[in-house]
Amino acid sequence: MSTPLPFDPQQAFNEMATFQRKLAAGMQNLRGLGEQDYANTPREAVYSEDKLTLWHMKGSNTPTAKVPTLIVYALVNTVWMTDLQDDRSLVRNLLAQGEDVYLIDWGYPDGADRWLTLDDYLNGYLDRCVDAICKRHGLNAINLLGICQGGTFSLCYTAMHPEKVKNLVTMVTPVDFRTPDNMLSHWVQSMDVDLFVDTMGNIPAELMNWVYLMLKPLRLNQQKYVSMVDILDNPVELKNFLRMERWIFDSPDQAGEAFRQFIKEFFQQNKLIKGDLQIGRQPVDLGMISQPILNIYATQDHLVPPDASRPLGRHVSSTDYTEFAFKGGHIGIYVSGRAQREVAPAIHQWLRDRT
Amino acid sequence: MSDQMNDFLKDYQAFAQQSWDAWMRSMQQPGAMGSFGTPPMGGANDDLLSRSLASLKAYGSWLQQAAGAGQAATMWQQSMPMQPFLAAFNQPFAQTVAGIDSASAFGFDHQWQSWLQAMQRAGQMGLAGNMGSNLQGSWPTFGITREMQLDQQALTAAINDYLQVSARYQALLQQVNSKGIARLQEKLGQGAEPGKQPESMKALYDLWIDAMEDAYAEMALSDDYREVFGALANAQMRVRKLQQQQTEQMCRELGMPTRSEVDSLGQRVQQLRRDLQARKQRESQADASEVDALQAEIAELKRELAASKATAKVRPITRKTDADDGKASTRAKTAGSASGKRK
Repeated sequence: MSTPLPFDPQQAFNEMATFQRKLAAGMQNLRGLGEQDYANTPREAVYSEDKLTLWHMKGSNTPTAKVPTLIVYALVNTVWMTDLQDDRSLVRNLLAQGEDVYLIDWGYPDGADRWLTLDDYLNGYLDRCVDAICKRHGLNAINLLGICQGGTFSLCYTAMHPEKVKNLVTMVTPVDFRTPDNMLSHWVQSMDVDLFVDTMGNIPAELMNWVYLMLKPLRLNQQKYVSMVDILDNPVELKNFLRMERWIFDSPDQAGEAFRQFIKEFFQQNKLIKGDLQIGRQPVDLGMISQPILNIYATQDHLVPPDASRPLGRHVSSTDYTEFAFKGGHIGIYVSGRAQREVAPAIHQWLRDRT
Repeated sequence: MSDQMNDFLKDYQAFAQQSWDAWMRSMQQPGAMGSFGTPPMGGANDDLLSRSLASLKAYGSWLQQAAGAGQAATMWQQSMPMQPFLAAFNQPFAQTVAGIDSASAFGFDHQWQSWLQAMQRAGQMGLAGNMGSNLQGSWPTFGITREMQLDQQALTAAINDYLQVSARYQALLQQVNSKGIARLQEKLGQGAEPGKQPESMKALYDLWIDAMEDAYAEMALSDDYREVFGALANAQMRVRKLQQQQTEQMCRELGMPTRSEVDSLGQRVQQLRRDLQARKQRESQADASEVDALQAEIAELKRELAASKATAKVRPITRKTDADDGKASTRAKTAGSASGKRK
């Protein structure tokens, strides 16, 4: 390769020196910042069981929505991505629009939770949360807003308990787990999941984090921190960065049995769309879902590719199916400026049209 | 000019070293600074800090190496040549991947080596200082320690298998490195016309990241990678499983609870939790049914009472009949029954 670079050596050395200077100066700004808070929206615990807490989120005004919406998050990471900070909060935005929002914090499983199955999570925990909300509001059915794996859970739950779900919103939700661009799925196909879970018990959060970092190893483990140097002189941006770092690595372990079932039956065998999935003793048939569905996916999602989400419309019996393509990634759909402007208003409008 | 460059580099290296040292010192103060990066597992505090800062240091080193690599006097008369920059990219990918290993992830070589040493010290294994020969294959087992010998052979074979698969995995990552560099050259070639070339070291670095991630994604979605990734996970799990079995054996001998016993207890506790919830639900449903029945009964009584009053208003006064007595008696009995149920 003989192509010369267009910048001169002096410029290169200047850049090098600038980098080190910023780094040295940034040390002062980092000092004393400590741990950044998140999940600051006022809330009230209305139900709890084992490690789980059901929160009722409180907005400034009384909700105008007649039917409450329950956010069902994934078991990986924490639900607080939806309420990261005041100006980057799906929850706050939904409350501001007049929605009545509940969310499930699954908690941090430990050895005592190693035997929790998907049946325990869906027909146990989730079902009892839905019942608790229905009872509080004197309703027979509520809205579900499922996120990522929580979206898959919401689909399964709706298929098993259709009478308890009025409207269903899915966000960055995998439905077809075997699309060619799904890296996570690709990697687990040759894994002996039984040996994996029998050996590990609960799956440690650090291992999950490692897998996610390995999806884009250089971008997520190096370039991100190199770019951080450019914001070391901006305390606000730096706090935002550290808050996100906290969320990324604040991960619960995965209950072993639930992990085993999810990897085998969803990722490896793709049973959700094949129609032969069973959770507990109940069959899960997406064709049973006739509720209105809003399916939101992110066009640049590297964790749940759009092709994994879009097939949903083909497998449900709902005649009121809407897709919303968000221009961004798996995380940007919650925290980006565009997300604040587009996502919550779209959800609110869609729900309002169906009450 | 060359002397000036050498002086600059010396000064710069000293400055860079001071800078890293200062970062390390600052971050060693507990709670003094915001934390970022992969939370490392285990190891000395300095090691944890070094790993948190590894990405920044890698970039700083690359800047230094790339800029210093082309310090020939001719550089100052013309644009910088490409090759030294590419050479500086030679190792970072594998380093980065190694840097995000944790004790729970696949790069656990140091972990099992520590474990082996601990077991050897505890006298549980006959592998002390002799891993090389033990990795050569199985040997006949006999005598009172026959079962233990078999366990050791199985573990040795599993470790051997893991090392082989790990080498295949590293070879794939190495391919990513070379393919990434080729892609970078391609990208630079495509943008050879003025205005489309990277105009700074950072822009070149970003282009390198793009090229490497493209090459990695292609590799990561290949059949080879899927097979090796799965084999690596499985090989590691076999080693861990055998480690656990040997640890259990030791625990049993020491009278300590074992993982299997704790698992067994956990499984029973989980079943009890399920049974408890099912019972609560049944009781709740039974209560609800009872309340519904009582409410229906009360409503019926109210209707009857209202009907009775209405009849009384329009009916002329007549002598009390036997039938009326019977009805009144039934009402009293029913009300008493409802009241009793409420208690």
